[in-house]
Amino acid sequence: MNNATGAAIARIWNWRITVSCAALLLVVAIAAVSFGPIHIGFAEVFKTLLNLPGGATGQGRTVILQLRLPRVVLGALVGAALATSGAVYQTVFHNPLADPYLLGAASGAGLGATIALTSTHHDVTALLPVFAFGGGILAVLTSFFVSGKFFAEPNTLLLSGIAVGSFATAIQTYLQQRHSNALRPVYSWILGDLTAASWSVVGWSAIYIAIALAILFAVAKQLDGLMLSDEEAFSLGINPNRLRILAVGAATLATATAVSASGLIGFVGIVVPHLVRGVTRRVTNRSLISIALVGAAFLVLADLGARTLLSPAELPIGVITAFVGAPFFLFVLRNRRRASH
Amino acid sequence: MMTAGTITVSDLTIRFGDKTILDDINLQLPHGQWTCLVGPNGAGKTTLLKALLGTTAYSGSIQDRGTEVFKSHRRNIAFVPQSPAIPQGMSVGEYVALGRSKRDGWGKESQASRELIATILVQTSLYGMQKNFVSQLSGGEMQRALIARALAQEPDLILLDEPTSALDLHHQISVLNNIELLKERGVTIISTMHDITLAAMYAQNIVIMQRGKVLLSGSSQSVIHSPELKSAFDNRIDVFTLDSGRPVVIATKDQREDQAGNP
Repeated sequence: MNNATGAAIARIWNWRITVSCAALLLVVAIAAVSFGPIHIGFAEVFKTLLNLPGGATGQGRTVILQLRLPRVVLGALVGAALATSGAVYQTVFHNPLADPYLLGAASGAGLGATIALTSTHHDVTALLPVFAFGGGILAVLTSFFVSGKFFAEPNTLLLSGIAVGSFATAIQTYLQQRHSNALRPVYSWILGDLTAASWSVVGWSAIYIAIALAILFAVAKQLDGLMLSDEEAFSLGINPNRLRILAVGAATLATATAVSASGLIGFVGIVVPHLVRGVTRRVTNRSLISIALVGAAFLVLADLGARTLLSPAELPIGVITAFVGAPFFLFVLRNRRRASH
Repeated sequence: MMTAGTITVSDLTIRFGDKTILDDINLQLPHGQWTCLVGPNGAGKTTLLKALLGTTAYSGSIQDRGTEVFKSHRRNIAFVPQSPAIPQGMSVGEYVALGRSKRDGWGKESQASRELIATILVQTSLYGMQKNFVSQLSGGEMQRALIARALAQEPDLILLDEPTSALDLHHQISVLNNIELLKERGVTIISTMHDITLAAMYAQNIVIMQRGKVLLSGSSQSVIHSPELKSAFDNRIDVFTLDSGRPVVIATKDQREDQAGNP
């Protein structure tokens, strides 16, 4: 087999993986719209979504289009955002355990939401995303500022992110204790849920997440350069710091939007990139689209579990992702350790 | 003064905080030739390489074909570091193909590039290993993969930081022969090296550096036979000439002690 044929086969294989991931997402999404307290058949869901004759009408149609579909779409957006930004953080920081909540994004967003919930007696649900987003971005900027030299020493940035995150969590806990009446809504938000999903939430999250993912997909190939030393990257035509700022900025935008829309949902950003890399056996940033699709499918499936396992009660989705993600993560860690011996 | 066909380093000084790494360096590095920077650790060799690449701020001037290096983004320079970062999950083929990124664009590999990469893999004895992960390569294989990536880049200038350190003699010769492939194509080569005998064997020019200063520079033959060479190495070397005419530099461990005892 000559080199050109090998390259052609490799390209087809990559496309097959991407198409399979998209098909997986589609099947999971239709299943998630179909299952629930009111069961609606696959065919009926399909016809309703495509506006074909024979689709659901009345209450069934409302359940599909106004309740379940926005929730599935939001779950897919959040899953894609968290998985992709996790993969990008892992490349930029040369750390396979880096996750989207690094640099204090999640804790900052948590603090922002807590400030909103504890500072007034009015219903601030609609403003939560704005506060969470502001808190998340502010925490990341503080991490950069504290670390001083930006990317000169990635570990310094990681450590300052952890410190800023801990500080934000400390203030958040203090506020919670001071305002015990807000304990329950804050706690519920921290565990993450998609129950607030509506087309308006889907609308604004989709814009930010689409912008962030478009940037990350556009620079995905160049991220290979960040796996080398800065001098090598420079000699291959990359400005490493400019690329890092762009990649971390876009990944943080995706993370902050996801956290604002759905609270803190852990493990997606670590589990999904490892899972996809295990199957494709390729550098993480070369499978970024597949990672986004699998991340979307993973979170939609987790939300389906959250809705149905204790039905009619709901489990927080963060509990499901941690329940699946933590053992998987330990399994990956154990295998990596074995492989290195 | 800028001379056609040279990289001209004038009054180059680099400081990191209070520490002076390079102190008022003046050099002419001829294009199309192999120049070797020789000196102990801390002499400033790697910093000089990074300045030539254009990634380190400096005072003074480094002009390549009439343009200051940090202002020139079109130069095609390959950089081979002493301790490369090893990308996890990347195959040898993909790693070598990174060398084409500047010419073809990231992730876009032309048919001609693929053929060139196959040829280079054969030249560097890596053919058949292109599907292996770079993280699984031995030290010598990794060094060859780095040289292969540099060859794929088809650079005008290649900067190599200690390309033979941590290699046994067999692999040192193999890597140096691979670098010679570039010299045959007219590529300007600037490398750092500890071993002055190997430097004299391969490079046309040698620059002896110590504590951020250039002590000696010129053609390999003139530098190695210069009476000042021994003092540059604190009189701790002897230079012999073999029957073949090749010079050999040997460290003399007890030279200083002998001199101290017999003034």
